[in-house]
Amino acid sequence: MKVIPVYIEAGISGFESPAAEYKELNLSLEELLLKHPNATFFGLANGRSMERRGIFNGDVLVVDRAEYVSNGSVIVANFNGCFVCKIIDTDKALLLSASDDHKPIEITASDDFQIEGVVTVSFRLHKKLPALLSCLG
Amino acid sequence: MFGLVDAVSFYARCEKVFDPSIRHKPVVVLTNNDGCVCAVCPLARELGVPKFIPYFKIKHFLEKHNVVVRSSNYELYADLSERMMNVIARYSDNHYVYSIDESFLHFKNFSCIDDWHQYGHVIRKAVWRETRLPVGVGFGATLTLAKAANHASKKLPGFDGVAVIEDSSDGTSSRKDILTCMSLTDIWGVGNKLGKKLSQLGIKNGWDLANQSPKAMRSQFGVTVERTVNELNGIPCLKWDEIGQDKQEIFSTRSFGQRVTDEHVLKAALASHASIVATKVRKQGSLIKRLVIFASSSPHDDNYYKKSFIYEFPIATDNTLKIVGAISYVFDNIYRQGVSFYRCGVGGVELENSQFQQQDMFTLSLNNPPLMKCYDQINYRYGRGAVEVAVAEKSDKWAMRRNFLSPSYTSKWSDIPKIIC
Repeated sequence: MKVIPVYIEAGISGFESPAAEYKELNLSLEELLLKHPNATFFGLANGRSMERRGIFNGDVLVVDRAEYVSNGSVIVANFNGCFVCKIIDTDKALLLSASDDHKPIEITASDDFQIEGVVTVSFRLHKKLPALLSCLG
Repeated sequence: MFGLVDAVSFYARCEKVFDPSIRHKPVVVLTNNDGCVCAVCPLARELGVPKFIPYFKIKHFLEKHNVVVRSSNYELYADLSERMMNVIARYSDNHYVYSIDESFLHFKNFSCIDDWHQYGHVIRKAVWRETRLPVGVGFGATLTLAKAANHASKKLPGFDGVAVIEDSSDGTSSRKDILTCMSLTDIWGVGNKLGKKLSQLGIKNGWDLANQSPKAMRSQFGVTVERTVNELNGIPCLKWDEIGQDKQEIFSTRSFGQRVTDEHVLKAALASHASIVATKVRKQGSLIKRLVIFASSSPHDDNYYKKSFIYEFPIATDNTLKIVGAISYVFDNIYRQGVSFYRCGVGGVELENSQFQQQDMFTLSLNNPPLMKCYDQINYRYGRGAVEVAVAEKSDKWAMRRNFLSPSYTSKWSDIPKIIC
């Protein structure tokens, strides 16, 4: 059940808070992290191939479709029907990993490939969050 | 200049945005309770899947052709619609969201645009890039022409998602070319009935209609057709704020996920529909004078049962408590023991404008504006159903059946897409 706090401001109160006039909106993570909110979606990292770029299994990825893709960007792409997170080599048409265990993947004409967006932010959950537990496989 | 931007098979496309594994597969979306096919993606259309066919009739065909079937995921569509509209809004100084996937633009201070065709592609590309939804863009000197151009941009050969209706100074007229290719019922404001009557007069297509005398059309068919003729000739008649005309009737109705025999469950369902109708009525600033309340078994059942009652309020009202209360007056006449109810609903069928209500000296108003304002604001802020009339208690018995529901990728943290690293 949601409870709406209603602060009573009847005449019986003592002194009004001296900070009352300075109250502003609280800090918003969205405002800080989302440059293009309409073009941004969240995804859950699955796998270990991007660890050297600081993306670990279970991290949340913030993917911005409006962001410019350049050589070496960390991107999310549709690669043959799956969302993958890799480093794009636009010169050689390769998908690079940030791990010695994963070889570069060549993008060929027979692959179904579209860049979905650029990973502008990723964040790690140092404590498990119940809201995300069910999607952690 | 006016523009109309709308998404191509919106529901089916939304399903593909966050599920890349079905991007190249035929996809259909089913209506509430998975009853009928309500959206068909172009690949499914090529297979010949018709719209609005009951799902059970086409189930085997869909399985045979590996068509992906989805229930309507309104949470996802609403979010993607909002994103799409926000992107579109950047490209004009006036913007009117006409439906979940359609939006009118009005360019008042955009004299610098000389190539509308190219500008249309700028809009298309931005929407595609940022939301992965394909849109068609049409431009014209009036709302009706913009709508016609939009139709052309998607349906007529030779157009690539953008069409501009104009009469050029060199004598060529895309207006003539496009309108000639359009059947009457494709023209905004011309329905099936009117289309038939017009074709009996030898008017065959949009261009023929544009060349009728507006006055003659008015005397035969009324002022709406006169306006349409003028609009087709580039004379604006429809005003910006008229296109979102108030609804004459407001209904909330649905079939049950499971059959209902219990009277309390049926009553709760009717109360819930009444409450939805009341909220919608307030949103457009109307009052309800007559309320229709009905419930039925399935027409495919033996002993088909249907009861419908009209409740008339002494004075029109938008008060949820009164509108839901009306259910109690007629409920005993509707419910019958032993009937397994399949469908029920409530509708405001005689609406009045709340600004121009006729009052008399002895009227005791049924309305309670401060309470309703508070009620609406709480539900707006905390989500529909945050406060609700007690009798409208939710029951999973009549919750929507959505067996093929995709995840709510953008509105539930537990549903965000997995990305392989």
